Amino acid sequence: MKLFKSIKWRLQIWYGLILVVVLAGFGFTSYQLERGRQFRRIDDELHQRLEVLKNALHRQQPRGPNGNRPFPGQSPRRQNLNEPPPGGPPPGQFPEEDPLGLGARPPGKFSLPEDAEHFFEASDPHEFYFSIMRDDKEIAKSMNQRLSMYVTSTYFGGPVNQLANLPGNTQRPQNVHSIENYREIYQHLPAGDFILVGCSVLPELNELQHTALNLTAVGGLILLVGLAGGAWLVSRSLKPISSISATAVKISAGDLSQRINVAEAESELGQLAAVLNSTFARLETAFAQQKQFASDAAHELRTPVSVMLTQTQTALNRERDAASYKLTVEACQRAAQRMRKLIESLLALARFDAGQEVLKRMPFDLFKTISDCAELVQPLAEERAVKVFIEAGPLEITGDPERLAQVVTNLLTNAIQYNQPEGEVRVKLESQNGLAVLTVTDTGQGIAAEDVPRVFGRFYRADQSRTGAGNTGLGLAISKAIVEAHGGTIEVASEENVKTTFTVRLPV
Amino acid sequence: MRILIVEDEPDLLASLAQALREEGYAVDTADNGDDGLFNAEGTDYDAIVLDVMLPGMDGWEILKRLRKAKKTPVLMLTARDQTCDRVKGLDTGADDYVVKPFDLEEVFARLRAIIRRSANKTTNVIEIGDVKVDTAARNVFLKEKLVELTAREYSLVEFMALHRGEVVTRTQLYEHLFDENESSLSNLLDVHVSNVRKKLGAEFIATRRGHGYCIEG
Repeated sequence: MKLFKSIKWRLQIWYGLILVVVLAGFGFTSYQLERGRQFRRIDDELHQRLEVLKNALHRQQPRGPNGNRPFPGQSPRRQNLNEPPPGGPPPGQFPEEDPLGLGARPPGKFSLPEDAEHFFEASDPHEFYFSIMRDDKEIAKSMNQRLSMYVTSTYFGGPVNQLANLPGNTQRPQNVHSIENYREIYQHLPAGDFILVGCSVLPELNELQHTALNLTAVGGLILLVGLAGGAWLVSRSLKPISSISATAVKISAGDLSQRINVAEAESELGQLAAVLNSTFARLETAFAQQKQFASDAAHELRTPVSVMLTQTQTALNRERDAASYKLTVEACQRAAQRMRKLIESLLALARFDAGQEVLKRMPFDLFKTISDCAELVQPLAEERAVKVFIEAGPLEITGDPERLAQVVTNLLTNAIQYNQPEGEVRVKLESQNGLAVLTVTDTGQGIAAEDVPRVFGRFYRADQSRTGAGNTGLGLAISKAIVEAHGGTIEVASEENVKTTFTVRLPV
Repeated sequence: MRILIVEDEPDLLASLAQALREEGYAVDTADNGDDGLFNAEGTDYDAIVLDVMLPGMDGWEILKRLRKAKKTPVLMLTARDQTCDRVKGLDTGADDYVVKPFDLEEVFARLRAIIRRSANKTTNVIEIGDVKVDTAARNVFLKEKLVELTAREYSLVEFMALHRGEVVTRTQLYEHLFDENESSLSNLLDVHVSNVRKKLGAEFIATRRGHGYCIEG
C-alpha cells in the first residue's frame, strides 16, 4: 500500500492514534470523576434521609434491649458508613433513650414526620422512597408504592435477610447498592429494624449521558482540529522534501543550474537542502569545467585537422609534381605532430585528474635535472638571444625525475618564449625548511594581474591565440598537476613588463 | 575575382591560397590581424576569408572596423561551432561562416554565394544574349555550347557579367583579377579582353574610351 509507505501518512496515522488514545483516556477519566461526584451526592442525600427516618423511627417505635438480637460483624458491602451522624444518638443507646416509646405506640405503625415529608415528595424527579421493616414485616413505606418490589428484593431476596437475623453488635453498617436505575441505602438497626431509602438515579444517568455526549463531541472536535493541525504541520515540515525531490528530478534531467529553494535554513531539512545545494553547485562547476575542457580540446584539434584537410584536398585537386606533394606531406606531418602533442598532454591531464598517473619515487639530484633541461632549451634561448643563468648547487630530492624534468623544461621554455630579446632567465634552487625551492625568473612581458589566476588553467595562452605549433596551452596546467602530485606547490608572481617569477616548492 | 585570406596558421594559409588561386581567384594573404585590416581597408576585394583567432587584432575586431568603411563580403573561419559564436559573427556583419575543420568545396561554394549576393544576383546562372555564365560550375556557354576559357579569362567574364550594365574601369579589373604580386604587368588585361572577345564575340565586351569596359544588355 502506497498510502502506508508515505511518511506523511504514517506520521498522520500515528499522530491520530495517539490523539485518540489520549482523548479517550481523558474523556473516560472525566466521565468517571463526574459519575463518582454525582453518586456521592445522591448517596449523601440518601444518607441524610436514612438518618431522618432512623431518628423518626426511634422516636415513634423504640425497641428494648430484649429485642436486640445478636448481629455479628457483617462484612461491609460497597460502602460502609459506620459512623453515626453527629446529631443522632449512637445506635446502642436507643433503648435507654426512650424506653417508653415501645409501649406508647403499637409495632407496625410508623408515620413520616411532617418535617421530613419534603424528603419524599412524589414530584421530586428522583422519586425518593423508603421502607422500614421490623421483624421481617414492613411497617412503613413511602408513597411510591410501585417501588416496593425493589425493597422486597433487597430485603428478602438474598443474604441481607439472613444477615439481618444474625445476632449483631451495636455497629450496623449502612450499605449502598444500585439496582438498575435505582440507588438504595439501607441499614439494619440493632433491634431487628431495617431501613431502606432509595431513589431513581435517572436524572443523574441522563445528565451523565449528556456529559458523555458532550465529552465525545468535544473530544471529536479536538481530534478533528488536532488531525487538521497535524496534517498542516506534517505537510509543512515535509514540504522541503518535495521541493528537494522536485529539484533533484530537474537536475537528473540534466539541468544542473537548479537549486533547492531553502525557506527554513535553520531546520534539519533546511540544512540538508543547503548541503545538497552546495553539492549541486560543485557538480555544476565540475561539469562546466569538464564541458569547457572538452570544448577547448576539440577546438584545439580543429586547426590541425583543417590544415590536413585543406592541404590534402588541394593536393588532390590536380596532378602535381613530387616537390609539391612533398610540401603537402610535410605540412600534414606538422599538423599530425601537433595533434599528437596535444593528445599526449590531454591524456596526461586526464590521468592526473583521475589519480591514475603513477609517479616514480626515487632519490635524484634536482640540480642535475635543471642543468640537463637548461642544455635542452639552449638552442631556443640562442634563437631568441636570451641568457639563462643557473644559481644552484646539488640538492637531492625524492620524486619522479622525468616528470619533474618536464616541469623544469616547461618553465624554462615559457621564460625564454615570453622574454624580450636580449632578456635574461634566472634559475635558483635552494633548500628552505626542508623544502626544495626552485624559482625561474624572466625579464619578459609579464602577466596582467587579471590573468594571474588563470595562468595554470587549461588552454590559457598569454596572447589568446596560437603562437606556434609547439604551444598547446596545457604546459602549465600539466606542470601544476605534476608538482601537486609530488605534494608540492607552484605559484606565480608577476610585474607587467618587468618580470615574472614561477616558484616551485617540493618536499625533499 | 580578388580575395583576401587572413589566417595565422601558415600551412592552412598556404594551402587555402593555393587552392583558391587554382580556382581562378586572385588571392592576397595576411597572417595577422593588423596586416589583414590594412589590406582589407586598402583594396576592394570581392570577398575576404577571415579567421577568428588571430594574433594581434582578432577576427571580430577586424570585421567591426572594416564594416565602418566597406561592405566587402566576409566569410568567417571559426573553430567554435557554438550558436552564440555564429550569432556574434553574423551580427557583427559577417556574411557567412565556415566551422573548422572544413572541406575546400564548402569554402568555395560559400565564397561564390557571398560574392553573388553582394552583386545582387540570386542564381548561379547569368544570361547575356547568347552567352550563359554558370558561376557555380565556372562554365561559360555560347549558344548552349561550352566555351573553353582559361581561369583568368573566366574570372574576367564573371566579373563583367556580375557588373553588367556598369562601366568597369581598368583599375577595377586590375584590382579584382590580379593579386598584389602581379598587377604591374599592365598589358596582360588587354590580352585577356582580346581573348574573351575572340571566343564570345567582339561585341560581348564593349570598350568605353577613357572609362573602361562594359557588358551591355
